Amino acid sequence: MYKIRIHGRGGQGGKAASKILGAALYLEGYEVQDFARYGSERRGAPVEAFVRFDRNPILERGYINDPDCVMVLDESLIGIVDVAAGLKKNGLLIINTPKKPSQFRGFKGFRVVTVDARSIALETVGLPVYNTAMLGAFAKATNLIHFKFVRKALERELGKKLGEKLIEKNMDAVEKTYDVTEVPK
Amino acid sequence: MENLITGNEAAAWGARLSRVECIPNFPITPQTEIIETLAQWIADGDMDADFWTLESEHSVLSAAIGSEATGARTFTATSSQGLVLMHEVMYIASGMRLPFVMATVSRGLSAPITLWSDHNDFLANLNTGWLMFHAQNNQEILDSIIMAYRIAEDNKVLLPAMVNMDGYVLSYTKEPVEFPAQAKVDKFLGKYRPKHAFFDAKNPLVQGPAVLLPHDYTYFRYQHDTAARNALSVTRKACEAFRKQFGREYGLLESYKCDDAKTILVTQGSISTTAKAAVNAMRKKGKKVGLLRLRLIRPWPAKDVARELANAEHVAVLDKNVAPGQGGIMSPHVKAALFEYGAKPIVTSFIMGLGGNPESVGMFEEAVRLAEKDKRGGVLWLE
Repeated sequence: MYKIRIHGRGGQGGKAASKILGAALYLEGYEVQDFARYGSERRGAPVEAFVRFDRNPILERGYINDPDCVMVLDESLIGIVDVAAGLKKNGLLIINTPKKPSQFRGFKGFRVVTVDARSIALETVGLPVYNTAMLGAFAKATNLIHFKFVRKALERELGKKLGEKLIEKNMDAVEKTYDVTEVPK
Repeated sequence: MENLITGNEAAAWGARLSRVECIPNFPITPQTEIIETLAQWIADGDMDADFWTLESEHSVLSAAIGSEATGARTFTATSSQGLVLMHEVMYIASGMRLPFVMATVSRGLSAPITLWSDHNDFLANLNTGWLMFHAQNNQEILDSIIMAYRIAEDNKVLLPAMVNMDGYVLSYTKEPVEFPAQAKVDKFLGKYRPKHAFFDAKNPLVQGPAVLLPHDYTYFRYQHDTAARNALSVTRKACEAFRKQFGREYGLLESYKCDDAKTILVTQGSISTTAKAAVNAMRKKGKKVGLLRLRLIRPWPAKDVARELANAEHVAVLDKNVAPGQGGIMSPHVKAALFEYGAKPIVTSFIMGLGGNPESVGMFEEAVRLAEKDKRGGVLWLE
């Protein structure tokens, strides 16, 4: 089983990212479970969302304490929330930041991937919504999902809300982050 | 057809496929998505049902009684404070022998306020005379709602039914769910043709009669108890018919690797699947551990429960609820069932998962470790 934990702030689309990622992996043919832990949070409060996927039916539920991959949508959470808590040895830590991985010396024993999803989202979508852009980095770092399934998942989860044009722009963001993401060995 | 849907959407699909005709409702987290989904389908013309928005859950259940009493297949859903606000009306629904179904989405009770799940809201209804089912995953939510209509509407039963899911971990969690074909569901359920609760201007009748004398009142209660007990065999038959029609297996309870188990965990609801993962992990280490999942909570299948647990040395009942001053709500049920059966494993009661406190494989391993050290049967809090 592969487990993903997404850290963001209320309103940044962490929950939507887990849904899109879950749907894309489901379309890839995996058994999937996506879950978000939130309450009556105000916009900006730390929130977490989770995706589990496997070739076999999934029994475990709820909060993920031992993720294979952590995605941090908002760099300012680092230091406030222990984003790497329980992350497996050599696990993947994808951070939305203009900085280089070498600037995150605190995260030893993990594969740190950085991507400036915020700038790319502003360029492509025209809005500071970087949850979809981050999926491009995940796709590049893991080689687990195809763009065609990300597109389908986007249409499924947000098609009604965004409309065709914004779906296209979000796909541009996914493809661009994919292209620029550098994956450490 | 299979799709990735939330527990709430699964409940809405259960109602839709059962062709419910009336949905009185009031929103409350984490249930609201159920009635929103149904409202959208009705607005889009995908579903044909009356959608009644009311001013409180007390009114919702009263309206459900009115609707079901005219002979319309009725559905509603609620959670937490909404469910306890319905409490007075719960007894009227079951006492009038009205076989409708309510999806409940468990959320801990106030005060203090929580949005997340525990079972104190659901289990506050143990003595209301309703049928009570508890699902462990989204597939079972959908399937159980369909089955609940068949069992509730059976002439040997004629009682309202609750199908419970845990808030958030099922209600807002997406999982793959197989959709039964509408034609097969139609065949499985048939049309609801009430013999005692309907509206017919040519044959006017009074339902929910006036004040009764003690003897007659007692006779009504005796019939109610008999009907609830009848639901045991009716449920067994419905599960068998469901397996034949749809290929998925359900029972009054689920026994997982109990046959040779020395220690058995007893759970209900969504924590059961994580508990199974824990059983698998412990089995790999050579420990003889099993899991008994309670699915039908009312009527209480005491004999079935006792039979599964009788040969164990230790039983750990994991209650995701608390009756302050007493302990877990279900552990005395399990102990009584074993006592009546004459079996004497040591039963340890664990309180866990209150207000959405997360469970883990490690917690269940810890429960087994503590239960195996227990010599008297105590109450322990797990975190």
